[in-house]
Amino acid sequence: MTELKHYFAPTSLDQAVECLKDGDVTILAGGTDLTPQSQAGRIKFKHTLMNIRHIPQLSGITLEGDEIRIGALTTITEIMEHPLVKQHLPALVEACDHFASDQIRNAGTIGGNICNASPAGDTLIPLLVLDARVELASMPEDKLYRHSMPLSTFFVGPGKTRKSLCELVTCVRIPVPGAGHVSRFYKHGTRPALDISTISIGVAGNYRDGVLSQVRVAFGAVAPTPLRAELTEQALEGRRLDAAAIENAAAIARDEVNPIDDVRASAWYRKEMIHNMTKRVLENVSA
Amino acid sequence: MTVAEKKHRIIEPDSLIGKRIAKMDAPEKASGRTRYIHDINLSGQLHGKILRSARIHALIKSIDTSAAKALPGVHIVITGADIPDQRPIGVAKDHFPLKVGRVRSERDEIAAVAAESEEIAEAALKLIKVEYEDLPVIGKPEDAIEPDAILIHPEPHGADGTHLHLKQGTSIAHKGKPDNIAMRFDYAHGDVAQGEAESDVVLEDTFKLHYVTHCCMGVSGMIAEFDASGNVLMYSNTQVPFLHKREFAEYLNIDPARIRIIQPPIGGGFGSKLDIYPFEVICLYLARAAKRPVKMLFTREEEFLASPTRQPVLLTLRSGCRKDGTLTFRQVHTLHDNGAYTSWGATTPFVMMQTFSSLYRVPHCDYHTAAVYTNNPYAGSFRGYGNLQATFAIEQHMDMLAQSIGMDPLEFRMKNAQDAGEVTGQGMSFKSCGFKECIRTAAQRSDFSHKFGENQANQKAPGTIKRGIGMASMLHVGGGAKIYPSDGCGTILKMDDFANVTLITGASEIGQGSETVLSQLVCEELGLPISAVTVVNNDTAITPWDVGVHASRTTFIAGNSAIGAAKKAKAKILAVAGKKFEIAEDYLDLRGGFVIKADSGEAVIELSKLLRNLHFQDKAELVMTTFYYEPPSVHQDKGFKGDVSAAYAWGTQVVEVEVDTETGNVKLVKVTGAHDVGRVLNRLGIEGQIEGGIVMGQGYAFTEDLMIENGHMKNPNFRDYKLVTAPEIPEMDVAFIESMDGEGPQGAKGVGEAPAICMAAAAANAIANATGIRLFELPFTPEKVYRALHGQTPKLYWKPWKAE
Repeated sequence: MTELKHYFAPTSLDQAVECLKDGDVTILAGGTDLTPQSQAGRIKFKHTLMNIRHIPQLSGITLEGDEIRIGALTTITEIMEHPLVKQHLPALVEACDHFASDQIRNAGTIGGNICNASPAGDTLIPLLVLDARVELASMPEDKLYRHSMPLSTFFVGPGKTRKSLCELVTCVRIPVPGAGHVSRFYKHGTRPALDISTISIGVAGNYRDGVLSQVRVAFGAVAPTPLRAELTEQALEGRRLDAAAIENAAAIARDEVNPIDDVRASAWYRKEMIHNMTKRVLENVSA
Repeated sequence: MTVAEKKHRIIEPDSLIGKRIAKMDAPEKASGRTRYIHDINLSGQLHGKILRSARIHALIKSIDTSAAKALPGVHIVITGADIPDQRPIGVAKDHFPLKVGRVRSERDEIAAVAAESEEIAEAALKLIKVEYEDLPVIGKPEDAIEPDAILIHPEPHGADGTHLHLKQGTSIAHKGKPDNIAMRFDYAHGDVAQGEAESDVVLEDTFKLHYVTHCCMGVSGMIAEFDASGNVLMYSNTQVPFLHKREFAEYLNIDPARIRIIQPPIGGGFGSKLDIYPFEVICLYLARAAKRPVKMLFTREEEFLASPTRQPVLLTLRSGCRKDGTLTFRQVHTLHDNGAYTSWGATTPFVMMQTFSSLYRVPHCDYHTAAVYTNNPYAGSFRGYGNLQATFAIEQHMDMLAQSIGMDPLEFRMKNAQDAGEVTGQGMSFKSCGFKECIRTAAQRSDFSHKFGENQANQKAPGTIKRGIGMASMLHVGGGAKIYPSDGCGTILKMDDFANVTLITGASEIGQGSETVLSQLVCEELGLPISAVTVVNNDTAITPWDVGVHASRTTFIAGNSAIGAAKKAKAKILAVAGKKFEIAEDYLDLRGGFVIKADSGEAVIELSKLLRNLHFQDKAELVMTTFYYEPPSVHQDKGFKGDVSAAYAWGTQVVEVEVDTETGNVKLVKVTGAHDVGRVLNRLGIEGQIEGGIVMGQGYAFTEDLMIENGHMKNPNFRDYKLVTAPEIPEMDVAFIESMDGEGPQGAKGVGEAPAICMAAAAANAIANATGIRLFELPFTPEKVYRALHGQTPKLYWKPWKAE
């Protein structure tokens, strides 16, 4: 009843990227987005369904130099419970804690969350403020080729990324934050669990003597892609985090986002929440 | 044990009433063994699927099923044209199962397929080509009563202008409707003009209640099979097997005796299975045509699109009181969005008017409803049956009236609350009434008065989190409702040679725990442990008649029926024992599996032994009894007056919230409930029912919203239709007021619907107490609350209107 003709479960990265060469492949990892989207008719299966879950190179969380590498197949639960992540990336833990339900977190993968490219994708906001890079593999000739790009340049629209049909996301790499680094994630919805963000906020930077620097701010569900809020960042960069600076940044944030009306909230309310909650998050940093 | 010891064995008194007894079906359900309709498959079975309208409101110009019929694996494809004997269904007989000539809503059934597999049936649906001609859509009930509004049910004429077969009857589906008014209700007692003249304060406000739906865990489904003699066997999830047996027979144009309905365990009812829906009749058509069993199961999306909803209501309430706190009058106008067709939602005024006329003492009351056709989903019955909507308005006005005369809201309520023995303007007679005790208990246990004052004082204080407390009370039928010619229930009880009981009852189990409560009542009479009972309750060929699971009636009506049968069995047993042991039967009783001497508890004979003696003798006999219970209630007169229920349930709920003024998030912190339930029979069961009802009311108040825009459902899924999840469930403190109803089984009254009724009203009052802002429209989503807090909500007003 579908156009699906082949099922392939590679056991190595080489096999996987080789299969991707003809581009007519639907990739299956956790299946938590693919299943409902294909059933609802929003995604059409391509010629081949490739299950990448048996590729060892795509798993695991490791410290590589001054980077934490999180394999694309790592589940949300694994991320949330991993000591390295807990120690260095609290904002990512917070996002995982608000990610769907236990069942979804046990199956859903970080690679899937990135490739699904939802403007409301929960892990994307902390990954953006943590300067994550996304690594891609392909086989242009007969050799495995890897390259990476900042996650902030990866998204081009709802469900759309710069990953070509021949590429596979293998991991994300996150610089290990130094001393004095702070990060926060806040998700706003109508209920505390099993919810898609009305808006979400990520803030990170070095906080010393009441001053925030190397500021990163990102917002979810307020633009066609997860948004790095550069104007808000500039307003905060090097400033003492006092009430006036916080209010100023929150006001800039409200103007910087460009949300839509949908079943979850109106654009007006989303802008209000960006203002109010950016303020609350920054107050929490300065407290 | 020696003979001498046995003779003097004393059986201590014991009772099952009020104990915590696990539901009899719990082990099966908790371990995943229960076989729902999903798990039943008959050999030779086909799978049915329905093609629904691609348009909201349109003429059907043509339907081409040839490609679908040609698909391998497809057995039958039908449209309305293939069923010349289609009869209109529904409460107002205003639609055909398979729509003919015209579609009026998104869920409308156009064609159906029976195929070897669900996948093939789905594929076949995609091959059916339908041409439409769009018509203007009525998306709001206000628009349906405009003079130039398009008629939703004009005189029918199909694509070919003939459809001769439509002219066989006089129902709306056949002859059309000259306006968009599906149903109207007009009620009055006293003289509201006089009441208003006597008022020191008069308030008028409009309230808006939204679409929600039942969200049963088990989606709708049915299996239908015709045998070689033309008899029909249906596996159906209905809540009302006996009425439906008769109705299905009418739709199939056969003798009702040929229909047998078996109910597999039902995965949730809540009123949703109280009407016959098109899919059920279509499934029968398919099975009849295919001469094979046909199984039809909804997808979850279909369950949202095509199962009933709660009745959305636009309501303007005008009410008044004197300075001394006496209520003077209530005038209510509502516009019910009937949707495209008429189901039970249109009749919710039956229940709403009880709240308007009789929740608190109201000397003058005037009430009008018009249920109007639109192109929206159509509303059915849903736990509470209009009472959530009515109570939402009434209980907010109680707070507002109290505030406007400077009276404490608790005192104001106590002043107007009824006592036992009162008869209301509508003729409802409160034989048992724990209303004041409900209010008092809920207020005391929650420290209402103290917190109310403290929160009010804190409204303008700094801080973004505001605490609020609010209360609401309810009145609901608790002893059945005499709507049909009979409101009764039959029981057949048989005892075997080992003193086990088979309880054959007309009352259906839909997860509410009726099997357990009925068994308890029987065991209480017969002095047996609950393990001695087997319940048979799901086969119309076996069970005696019952009007159905509705109106919170099962414990009361079926309970009294079961007790009646048990009492007859007991009388027979004691007579036999009395004769055998030459003891006057008045001096005997049943306890702990024995016949005992009533005064001393001394065992006379083991019950099982006595039953065997009775059976295995020359004049052999069994203990088998029957009983039919009809409550002593009356039918209402034409003005809706009369004591329609044998008893009335009362309840008060106090809701505590925390409002985040920067987000509009309202956290439900605690619910304190006090419910007059007559008497607690199964404490575990009733706690579960109250807690479940509170959560259902919470969803109605805060999160659930079936979003309909111009007839289109925007969120037919659990992602965007938000049920309450575990972390949101508040602390609950529930107290039971035992008013010991004289007619109730062991004093009990019905309580199935009661706990869902007050939540939205109490929550609105709590938010007002926290913030000083009053919300007139549900649900209280963060955005709605935030808008109201920031002056972004225009005042809602619907000018009272009644049908000419």
